[in-house]
Amino acid sequence: MNNCFVPMEAEILRADQVTKSEKHFTLRMKNGCRMDFAPGQILEASLFGFGEIPLGFASSPTRKDSFDLVVRTVGRVSGAINKLEKGQSVFVRGPLGHGFDLDRLRGHDVLIIAGGIGLCPTRSLIQYILDRRSEFKGFKLFFGSKSPQDQLFLDDLSAWRNSPDVEYHETVDKGDPGWTGNVGVITTLFQKTKITPDTRTVICGPPIMYKFVIKELEKSGVPHNHIFVDLERRMKCGIGKCGHCQINDKYVCIDGPVFSFDQIKHLEEVFG
Amino acid sequence: MSYFFLKESDLKDFVRKLISSAPVIAPVARKNKFVFADLESPDELRLDYDITILPPKKAFFPPNQTLLSFKENKATSAIRPREQILFGVHTYDVKAIDMLDLLFAENNADNNYLANRKATTIVAMTPQAVSGRAFWESVGKTVQPNGHDALMTKIREGYVFEPRTPQGTRLTKSGIFSQASSGQLDEASKCQSEIAAKCPEKLSHSTREISDKMRASFNNEKIWHTASLDCFSCGTCNIVCPTCYCFDVQDQWNLDQVSGARYRTWDACLTEDFAKISLGPAGAENFREERAERFRHRMMRKATYLNSRLGGPACVGCGRCSEGCVPDIADPVKIINNVMES
Repeated sequence: MNNCFVPMEAEILRADQVTKSEKHFTLRMKNGCRMDFAPGQILEASLFGFGEIPLGFASSPTRKDSFDLVVRTVGRVSGAINKLEKGQSVFVRGPLGHGFDLDRLRGHDVLIIAGGIGLCPTRSLIQYILDRRSEFKGFKLFFGSKSPQDQLFLDDLSAWRNSPDVEYHETVDKGDPGWTGNVGVITTLFQKTKITPDTRTVICGPPIMYKFVIKELEKSGVPHNHIFVDLERRMKCGIGKCGHCQINDKYVCIDGPVFSFDQIKHLEEVFG
Repeated sequence: MSYFFLKESDLKDFVRKLISSAPVIAPVARKNKFVFADLESPDELRLDYDITILPPKKAFFPPNQTLLSFKENKATSAIRPREQILFGVHTYDVKAIDMLDLLFAENNADNNYLANRKATTIVAMTPQAVSGRAFWESVGKTVQPNGHDALMTKIREGYVFEPRTPQGTRLTKSGIFSQASSGQLDEASKCQSEIAAKCPEKLSHSTREISDKMRASFNNEKIWHTASLDCFSCGTCNIVCPTCYCFDVQDQWNLDQVSGARYRTWDACLTEDFAKISLGPAGAENFREERAERFRHRMMRKATYLNSRLGGPACVGCGRCSEGCVPDIADPVKIINNVMES
């Protein structure tokens, strides 16, 4: 009888410590199956004896038979996973939840706004768009982090800075002597470019960020049904049972984590 | 389905035969309270109970349930249902079990629950006594008890036994059952309405009215703040609730440090860290940091959030939360009636 809590084994093909607290893993399923996910979906990653944590896919399904995860050391499980190296295993259940509705993004201008570790799940969509660039119109990316040392995916950032396929803007809350880019909260990036009302916008970042970003989008005339928010909550089961991730009557793990803003803006608990 | 009758003097023999056929979980006395427990002898059975401390959901959704065991990198599913008989479940608790059946089956079927449930034959019971805080007569009136295999109702000389499934019918082979007379059926039906009328507490509005007003009162901070002032955030109201099904998942090592188990335990949305996430160096975010927010969330779950899925409220009026709450602030009747009058 199927037990939805029994995970599958995935082998670590690559493990890079990318910041002081974050590690970037590339994984492949041990049973030879492909992890058949969509950008924005999540999985439960675990180590036996330590526990499980929910994570977003940090790579696009258009890339190889592997997938990426980025784990920030915050507790017992993430701490244990982040001690792993190439050749060792992580146990995964997924894909879970609803990702980005690609059909609603195709054929339109797309703006992705990522704050901090919010770049991990959105990287899945960024790669997807870059791999199928002709399916989308204009593509802009805003990325904000606390400091230059907190920036993730440095190779990607440097590629995006020079790519003709994406208009990339970045900022840090606090610069350092080597930083020559923008300093300020992420909403300051709206001054750098013009956002058309037709733009489909994706937001993922710390809870505090959403309200301010949405206010800016409203100023640009972007309607709420063109805004997609990727939300984080505490999760235990990932299958809509355990109750931890509820936002009013919605379950982030099965109804989300990506929501069309117009469908959840009436929920009082949406931005905490 | 036909109706049967079992004489009071034949009850023990019937139960003894059931015990010899499969484990029987039934109400027994513990000091001055009652609990559902594995029945060792028919003498322990207390069908005259008013309420049990914990609801009978623990028969398939135990407070601590192993989901899988592991040894190094190998996991083994812990789904191993045992055939069992859950005997003497009050009709309000049957309604709650029916709700959990749906909630564990929908979207992603959870066989850790469903397998245990499927292996369980449920004999429901019309209550013979009502507890001090019961209000099951007036809550979710449009939702009927469902999913049980048989219903027993005590009348003067014995029990009217109504099988509802082939498993229920099969049970009658274990006792000296006769066909129930129409007089006995009338008496059973009278007993059912008489006991319902004895519920000491009462909701005064329809499910729909309550659901709408509760949802509309979400932002009435005064109500939720005042109602939760004395809350300890202990979660007792959740733990004793027959419709609560939230859980935590944890791993535990065995002493050998190479094997262990992943298990789930009942969790409670009233506890402080239920919706808290750690953000590492950036600190933590608690999406329901205030007592009032957690208190409100429970009531929203009971009175409105799940209604469209369940066809009624996620509350069956057992009154366990009212009785279990130390500062006595969890009583849904008081909370709902207060909201309705606001």
